Amino acid sequence: MAGIAVSTTINGDITEYLCQPDETLLDVLRDRLGLTGAKEGCGTGDCGACSIILDNRLVCSCLVLGAEAEGRRIETVEGMAHGDQLHTLQQKFLEHAALQCGICTPGFLIAAKDLLAKNPDPSEEEIRFGLAGNLCRCTGYDKIVRAVQDAAIVMKGA
Amino acid sequence: MTVHNIRVGESKRGDASDGTLAEAVGGRLSRVDGPAKITGAAKYAVEQQLEGLAYAVLVESTIASGKVRAIDTASAEASPGVLRVLTPDTIISLRTASDWLGTTPPDKPYCPLARDITFSGQHVAAVVAETFEQAVAAAALVNVSYDETPSIVDLSDGKAGDGIAIDAMTKEWGDAPAAFAAAPVRICAAYNTPREYQAPMEPHGLIARWEGDRLTVWEPSQWLDGMARTYAEWFEVPFENVRLVSPYIGGGFGSKALALSHGAVAASAAKMIGRPVKLVMTRPQTFTGYGGRAATRQTVTIGADRDGVIQSIVHRGVNETSIDGMWVEPLGSVTSIMYATPNFSSKQNVVRVNSVVPGAMRAPGENPSAFGIESAIDELAYEVGIDPLEIRLRNYAEQDPHAKKAWSTRQLREAFAAGAERFGWSRRSPKPRSMRDGNQLIGWGVAAGTYPVRRAYGEAVVRILADGSVEVESSSIDMGQGTYTILAQTAAETLGVPADDVVVKLGDSRFARAGVSGGSRLAGVMTGAVHKAATSALDQLVGLAISDPRSPFHALQANTLVVANGRIGSPRGDGPDVSIAELLKSVGRDRIEATGDTMPANSTAEDRYKNYTTIAMALPHTEGDYSRYSWCAHFIEVRVDEDFGTVRVSRVVSALDSGRLYNPKLAESQWKGGIIMGIGQALLEEGIMDRRHGRIVNNNLADYLVPTNADIPDIEVISVGIPDPHSSALGGKGVGELGIVGVAPAIANAVFHATGKRVRDLPITLEKLI
Repeated sequence: MAGIAVSTTINGDITEYLCQPDETLLDVLRDRLGLTGAKEGCGTGDCGACSIILDNRLVCSCLVLGAEAEGRRIETVEGMAHGDQLHTLQQKFLEHAALQCGICTPGFLIAAKDLLAKNPDPSEEEIRFGLAGNLCRCTGYDKIVRAVQDAAIVMKGA
Repeated sequence: MTVHNIRVGESKRGDASDGTLAEAVGGRLSRVDGPAKITGAAKYAVEQQLEGLAYAVLVESTIASGKVRAIDTASAEASPGVLRVLTPDTIISLRTASDWLGTTPPDKPYCPLARDITFSGQHVAAVVAETFEQAVAAAALVNVSYDETPSIVDLSDGKAGDGIAIDAMTKEWGDAPAAFAAAPVRICAAYNTPREYQAPMEPHGLIARWEGDRLTVWEPSQWLDGMARTYAEWFEVPFENVRLVSPYIGGGFGSKALALSHGAVAASAAKMIGRPVKLVMTRPQTFTGYGGRAATRQTVTIGADRDGVIQSIVHRGVNETSIDGMWVEPLGSVTSIMYATPNFSSKQNVVRVNSVVPGAMRAPGENPSAFGIESAIDELAYEVGIDPLEIRLRNYAEQDPHAKKAWSTRQLREAFAAGAERFGWSRRSPKPRSMRDGNQLIGWGVAAGTYPVRRAYGEAVVRILADGSVEVESSSIDMGQGTYTILAQTAAETLGVPADDVVVKLGDSRFARAGVSGGSRLAGVMTGAVHKAATSALDQLVGLAISDPRSPFHALQANTLVVANGRIGSPRGDGPDVSIAELLKSVGRDRIEATGDTMPANSTAEDRYKNYTTIAMALPHTEGDYSRYSWCAHFIEVRVDEDFGTVRVSRVVSALDSGRLYNPKLAESQWKGGIIMGIGQALLEEGIMDRRHGRIVNNNLADYLVPTNADIPDIEVISVGIPDPHSSALGGKGVGELGIVGVAPAIANAVFHATGKRVRDLPITLEKLI
């Protein structure tokens, strides 16, 4: 099937794909490119499980069309670790048990990465409100907040 | 099958701050499935990439009651990419399957697409297309016309009536009405809970593929063998021909235990077009594709002495069920056991409404039951002028008041003490509206919770491989509770190998069978089975080392050997010291395999099938001499804005008795998750019905409010459990459901303390306070 040719950068790699005009970026990532880290929890931008960073802006990839990614820079959870070297946030999520079923986790990690990029020293309240667009039904949030606080300390020192 | 092949050095280990080695049972090992999940590498069921995959999208009824007059599929069929439109007339015929008790079903066809409509959102048709987008577009073109009849919207509908008495729910002793009439202090109130939804972050869905008469289903599942049985019965193929694969499950909370009609649609579609079919519900469809927690109504009357000692409890409950299905939410479950009373009566009705049949949601029964009794005893405390914590201790049940048996363990008194101490309960000013911070009224509330220890027989395979690594296999699952991790710990500790050397494989019905992962039973069942299998494997290993003439230990003539950290040696350390791999090589073995099976020795194949594919063989929690429950006490602070009536939970301290914890780090996380679901229940969650059309109007995550990070305060959990040998092989009780039970009444009690207003209708929204 013909489609729209899109050239974009995903986690630092130039990536080209064909997509249909009605395909979401989330479906392109998951079904065409096999990047299933971003999840679909609602499809309407309410849960944040599909969070990615698009040109330094945190977005719900279920609300972006695949065709809109032309010429832009995409960061997904798959790009956070370098080989065996986890991103500090990933490390802290593990240590603090800040994940259970794992569906919201990639979105939280990306949203937290974006939060710390813009505010390297957030208060607890800033973390809670900054991550309020990501829903988690398993963990009780508490451990996620601790993980982000702890990661912020490490990342500031780095 | 799942193998966590991503290993990330030290990060896999937890901390050992409680003094236990992190890798041992009871240690704080970080979750072994964590690295796969945090890197995005974990492949969930519907993320399998299959050749020739087609996509199915459901069409749902827009009326709540009536009949489908006609379905016009012409436009949909002509739409680009459409492979097939399924309607009740065109879908293949299935057979009715047995229920979860294994009851023989009526010998009649089953059609997962409805002609007779009993609720809005019922599946009436499905479109299968080459792409998901094409299926969505074509589904919108399916034109369904109806003959509509009046519907019963919910329990408050005037047409709903009193319902059907469920005699099996009746619990009575003494003469409760007479004792109530004679009591000097009497309170009576009605407590209501609305429809609530599990809302796991992963929506329900599946991929179904047929190869001849063999069906493979990739589907998030709390019960592979139970669902495989249903699929096999629907499609009239042998049980062995159905394979369920569910490597990771994105939350379930009770909703993913049974094969549902959308699964029948997808598997039928796959069979009809001869290609694998993927069907994932939209978030709105998840509100009607299966049942959430039934709405409930309870009346609790308590007769007591002037010093607050209960003389009588009379309890009446009602829950909603569907027009043609039956769901009983046992509302007297906590009422009948939490407090000592010489006279008791509890009865329950169910009322039919035009809804999908309600289902299990985290602590079905205990959760709404606790809202009733734990609110009522708080009301009694104010009535007699006794501290709400003191009145609970004054009526403490020293044994199970209903079963009249000793508790196996009940650390509830310890929970009250530890929670009160940590919370600072003694500084509470007793009068309502007596604590404030500016325009915020502060309230402190307490409530208890409980959940029975559900037990069952289990099975697991443990293999020691040539390289000394260990495999554990079971068709049980991990939906985030930590099954992978605690089973690795159990095998590691039992065998004496590092947890890093253990690979746990779950989520494939080809593995050793497993019963339902529900009712907080999985950890107790599976640690027992893995312990048994690993013990047997260890016996084989040591036996070989002692008796095989080729073994380096043969000459030692030892009675036993010690295996620790993957190495074998004599207990006194005076002989050889070799790795497990070296020993296996020396005796010419490439593996040792053992099955741990906790079923009685004389069990037949039929017993086993029944044990793993139904819930009929679960062991009663009051079997034998003991009554087995987990317990908790929640201490909660709320802040209520005096002008706007907005309620925020500002502090939670909960002390919980789940017996021995197999991994405190993961158990604490589950408790906290239960507590915030309770905060959602208390303040936010409510399915709202459109009264004209019987639809759920807030069927999405923007309008069905679940707690966000910004709604949640610091939560502190304290474990007060002790090992309970009557509850499980390794001493644990239930964890997953316990945390939510009692949270909503603790918040309602705190709101009363803050405002002087008793809210008996959940959720506690601002219009109920101003």
